[in-house]
Amino acid sequence: MENLVARIGECVERGKVNKSSPYPRDMQGQEGTDELTRRALDAGVGPDEILQACSDGMKRIGDRFSRNEVFVPELLMSAKAMNAVMAHLKPFFQTGSVKAKGKFVIGTVAGDLHDIGKNLVAMVVEGNGWEVIDLGVDAKPAKFIDAVKQNPGCTVGLSALLTTTMVNMSRTIGEIKEQFPGTKVIVGGAPLTQKAADQMGADGYAPNPQGVVAFLNGGVQK
Amino acid sequence: MRLRETEIEKNSFEVSIGFEDLPFDTTEIELTLGYSDGEIPVHFSGMIDEAAGQLPRRCDIRAGYRILDVSRPEERLDGLVVGGTFFRLDKIVTGQMKKSTQAALFVATIGPSMEEWSRQLLKGDEPALGYIADVAASTAAETVTNLLHDHIGEKMRSLGLNITNRYSPGYCNWSVSEQHLLFSLLPENFCGVTLSESALMHPIKSVSGIIGIGPDVKWKDYICDRCGVKDCTYRATRRRESLNPKL
Repeated sequence: MENLVARIGECVERGKVNKSSPYPRDMQGQEGTDELTRRALDAGVGPDEILQACSDGMKRIGDRFSRNEVFVPELLMSAKAMNAVMAHLKPFFQTGSVKAKGKFVIGTVAGDLHDIGKNLVAMVVEGNGWEVIDLGVDAKPAKFIDAVKQNPGCTVGLSALLTTTMVNMSRTIGEIKEQFPGTKVIVGGAPLTQKAADQMGADGYAPNPQGVVAFLNGGVQK
Repeated sequence: MRLRETEIEKNSFEVSIGFEDLPFDTTEIELTLGYSDGEIPVHFSGMIDEAAGQLPRRCDIRAGYRILDVSRPEERLDGLVVGGTFFRLDKIVTGQMKKSTQAALFVATIGPSMEEWSRQLLKGDEPALGYIADVAASTAAETVTNLLHDHIGEKMRSLGLNITNRYSPGYCNWSVSEQHLLFSLLPENFCGVTLSESALMHPIKSVSGIIGIGPDVKWKDYICDRCGVKDCTYRATRRRESLNPKL
């Protein structure tokens, strides 16, 4: 059973979804996360253990991404493999036998339509056991405020790619903090730095999806 | 001039560009994705071919420009007056444009079909292909804009004038909100591109901006070391060109 769990983690890292998937080339014809997760559950492996393997696999590919050893396409293949695991685990979340770690509201701020990075973060965070509420792109402060109202205790993630939309990011943080001072906000995107995040009043900054997971798992919202 | 243009209003021109006019090179997509030349996994190189194969039938290319007079108010150092409207261009763009006597405000688009296809794939079962389709679409939009830029340069040189590099709202510290000013000076629904309330273009795969014109202006590279955006398209283009001068 241990082997099955380890293989699920490896398939997440390598982006191997199922037996018929041609990717990656050196794993053609082998089982992927879809078959392995089903087999693991049938064999009595707990969903928590599978979720942990998934999270470990995403961490490994995330670390390689941070070191520029792989790029966004590999990360997206891993996210797809992880989604195949999550499809099997969804019933356990719905019945409450596996609890989400918390809620994470994410969106690209007003004036910005770039969403690839935001989507990647959403997928990786979800794969790490968080419930994700995705507000999409060009999201105005009021949309974030509504989402925080509807999801008490959530953490908020703001994304921007244009330098000039960082003003809107700052405004959004200000409005969230004014109405919900206890809500944690993490920011990310190409023009952001830790210094810029501090100046805006954000609680955290992450240069990549793994950074967001580390921030969330660091005790923001249990 | 190689490309045909039609004057649709006074000093406003729409330029006819077909997909066959684009010097499209899939190596550029590989480099934008991050892979060094020839190091992309075969699986993704197949996806690039698939995405590039969709471009000819999904690109609805439209491009155009309007020529307007430029002046520089003495008391203002942070922008220029273009067509009677003050643009707060910030220091980088103002510095490059300050000797302009005229400017071309331009728009170029490849239409909505590629972005719609990319979005479907990203939401569905093929996120990697969706991402690669998005990068291919952005590359195509930039290639169209390069052609338009070259066309404007060729036309101005025939009149004894020079042109600058091009600058777009949202980049080089020029606020994206000034898109509204830029579009207010263009014919309505110019090239089929419209703006949202928050100044974003539809179709998304569109490029708008300004090019300085005048006898004394010079074309200069982007001054990326003065800007904080490390992953900017134009910085990436510069990096690609320095790594691979043939592009």
